[in-house]
Amino acid sequence: MQKLKLGAALGICTALAGAASAQDNMEKLSNMQRTDATFTVIDQTGPTAEALADIVQFINVPEGFEVSLYAVVPDARSMAVAPQGTVTFVGTRKDKVWSVVDRDRNRVADQVMDFAPSITFDIPNGPCFSRDGFLYIAERNRVLVFPAAEFFFEGPDPAVGVVVPKGELIPVEEESFNHTARVCRVGPDGKLYISLGQPHNVQPVEKLELYDRLGIGGIIRINTDGTGREVFTRGVRNSVGHDFNPVNGDLWWTDNQTDGMGDDIPPGELNRQTAAGQHFGYPWLGGASIEIPEYKDVPRPEGVEFVAPAVELQAHAADLGMSFYRGNSFPAKYHGGIFSAQHGSWNRTVPVGAQVMFTALDDEGNAAGTEVFADGWLNKETGEYRGRPMDIAFLPDGSMLVSDDFAGAIWRIAYVGTASE
Amino acid sequence: MRGLAPLALGGVILTGGALAEGDALPGDPAAGKQLAGQCRTCHGLDGLARIPIAPHIGGEPVAYLIHQLTAFRDGRREHEMMSIVARSLSDQQIADLAAWYSGHSIAVEMTADPSAAPEACVDCHGADGLALIPDAPNLAGETNIYIDTQLKAFRSGKRTHEVMSPIAMELSDQEIRAVADWFAAINISIEQAE
Repeated sequence: MQKLKLGAALGICTALAGAASAQDNMEKLSNMQRTDATFTVIDQTGPTAEALADIVQFINVPEGFEVSLYAVVPDARSMAVAPQGTVTFVGTRKDKVWSVVDRDRNRVADQVMDFAPSITFDIPNGPCFSRDGFLYIAERNRVLVFPAAEFFFEGPDPAVGVVVPKGELIPVEEESFNHTARVCRVGPDGKLYISLGQPHNVQPVEKLELYDRLGIGGIIRINTDGTGREVFTRGVRNSVGHDFNPVNGDLWWTDNQTDGMGDDIPPGELNRQTAAGQHFGYPWLGGASIEIPEYKDVPRPEGVEFVAPAVELQAHAADLGMSFYRGNSFPAKYHGGIFSAQHGSWNRTVPVGAQVMFTALDDEGNAAGTEVFADGWLNKETGEYRGRPMDIAFLPDGSMLVSDDFAGAIWRIAYVGTASE
Repeated sequence: MRGLAPLALGGVILTGGALAEGDALPGDPAAGKQLAGQCRTCHGLDGLARIPIAPHIGGEPVAYLIHQLTAFRDGRREHEMMSIVARSLSDQQIADLAAWYSGHSIAVEMTADPSAAPEACVDCHGADGLALIPDAPNLAGETNIYIDTQLKAFRSGKRTHEVMSPIAMELSDQEIRAVADWFAAINISIEQAE
């Protein structure tokens, strides 16, 4: 017969020493002190790298483009390329942020190691840079800032500041694991824009008011010192990718739609936001017109007109990270358009997604056609994933990085043809 | 497979409803393997999780799997993905899935000294994170954030269990993370049953 000890507080004191020191580290680092943290370094050669490189042959891209393995990065999620372009910071849904370095500029990473190992991260999915080189990292329930991270990432104890303290991004009771992968971007106004997924499939009615007020199921913006919080975007289910149109400042973002309504509804969304406070219809609508059954009889917010998605995409393909194309090495048709990653479905009868989409924009900034740019990460014969694209970023040379948290890799797609378009 | 060991709590013998459920229907692993097509994107066919938010379920105690799938189906435990997948499962299908995933073998490799394991956890979950009782999950190699999230759910009442709820109630955020880090650091390998 086994005995159970309920003296929990007493029982786990052996494990406490580690927790206490992790807590102290934030203070030490804020004071520019040192810790004894050590790096985790990811081998970029050997069996894992070779197995990943073997996947490249299956990935299809348009004529003139070439795919390669850029880096082995476990659990690779949202990416932020540093202003100088030497290092890319990559978030995870675990406890690591990776720094990915291509020092010799041969377009293959030569060093991947964890960033700020002295800090206890908690779902640090979303890194983003300000134009003056501050790295922000949005976690499940905290936002940190690392000044000049690009130059200090090689030490274990970079200087750090707290933008939003732990437990203040959302109420602690609303923390979940899924739908807590935050994405951040610094807007044209210099503020931080952070997406906050709502933690349910469809939120219960009794949560509506709270969530709407806090921007859970929305995108918030705050000053870079954490003050001035506003709900910028309303009526979102779970957005895991947004970017600003560099031409006119519109905020575009993807949204994942409701599960459990069948294989073919509701459609995935790519949304265009032209003003603060716009409401995009969730949880009343998925896509432009599919009513969510739980909300058929729930009154819609008064005096609010729902904004329909700019593009409806295949249901359950899971549109996640996205970036405008600001480079110029791709052919002209891609300039100023949006590349977005479809992570792939998780319980659709026939799996779909796991590809990179391209959406062109017209002169007025409207969506003007969406097409598949790269696919092949899904083995359509067996329904098995070889990889699952999660986010899109661009190196200063205009080539594309695609993060993949299934394979644990970053793929690079470059244009090598002679642009004649 | 380990035998059933009744759990004593303050003199009360706890034999959860899960055990009765587990005894009721013998599962067919071959049928479970077919059904596992809808699990594999997240949990793998072998039960080694493919995404961080999913737990490893290969080699899990059969009673625990039945208990959790039934709780998701009946709404006693909620998760935005699992509640949807489980809602249409019959008792027989749950038994089949549990038979498939529990039939794999899990092996662990520890680098830390087992005597440093969190004491409140080891009697049920093992110092090496392999469950010692039928209604406890293996914790070895789970993503630390998964364990962290579950402990916080027990603490807040979002998830309830007669043993886990009172334990979690006493834990601070730092203590929870320390427990999670302990079990997450254990390396596992799962060998899929044929």
